[in-house]
Amino acid sequence: MNNRIKVFRAINNLTQEDLAREIGVTRQTILALENRQYDPSLLLAARIARYFGKRIDEIFIIEDEEEPDTRRNKK
Amino acid sequence: MKKNSFYLLVAAVAFIEVGIFWWSVESASPLPSLVAVLFGIAFVYVARMYIDEVVIDERAEKIIGITSLRTLQITWIGLFLFALWVVIEALNEELNNYNRRVGIVGFRLMAILCGIILLYVILSLYYDRKFGAS
Repeated sequence: MNNRIKVFRAINNLTQEDLAREIGVTRQTILALENRQYDPSLLLAARIARYFGKRIDEIFIIEDEEEPDTRRNKK
Repeated sequence: MKKNSFYLLVAAVAFIEVGIFWWSVESASPLPSLVAVLFGIAFVYVARMYIDEVVIDERAEKIIGITSLRTLQITWIGLFLFALWVVIEALNEELNNYNRRVGIVGFRLMAILCGIILLYVILSLYYDRKFGAS
């Protein structure tokens, strides 16, 4: 699963440490999420989305969903 | 409390435990050592609640879960192979008092390992029900 946490973190001028503290996880978890080494639970995804004031699907993108969009663009 | 302060506290508790263990051996009484271990674990468990920073989150819990399972699996297989080897060695030799004792140790170890499987099944049934199975 891909995500845009790094982008929204940069927009909000937050460090990984800041975001981790706000969300209530460790900095290592934010790092793992950004590097796509760990998929969050629904609860954590919802907490991150709510913190940035976005919908979950605006931040987390399931890879399979990306392909139809790409194909549509190609058409 | 900071995370590093907690680790220092754990190290201090470990040193005290070693001291009590030493004293237990000197006085040939295992009770103080057993009580100290129980109190030490309880103390560290309570102290962990007072850490300001997040130490255990869902990723850490997942890591702990997988690590525990793999440790259990590897330990179980290793100990079972050892017990099997001990029993076969003991039964293969001429049955004297020493071999009988070694064989009994092997059988007891196998019984403990079967007990671990039973405990695993009971706990997995409990958590299966807890997390939604009817």
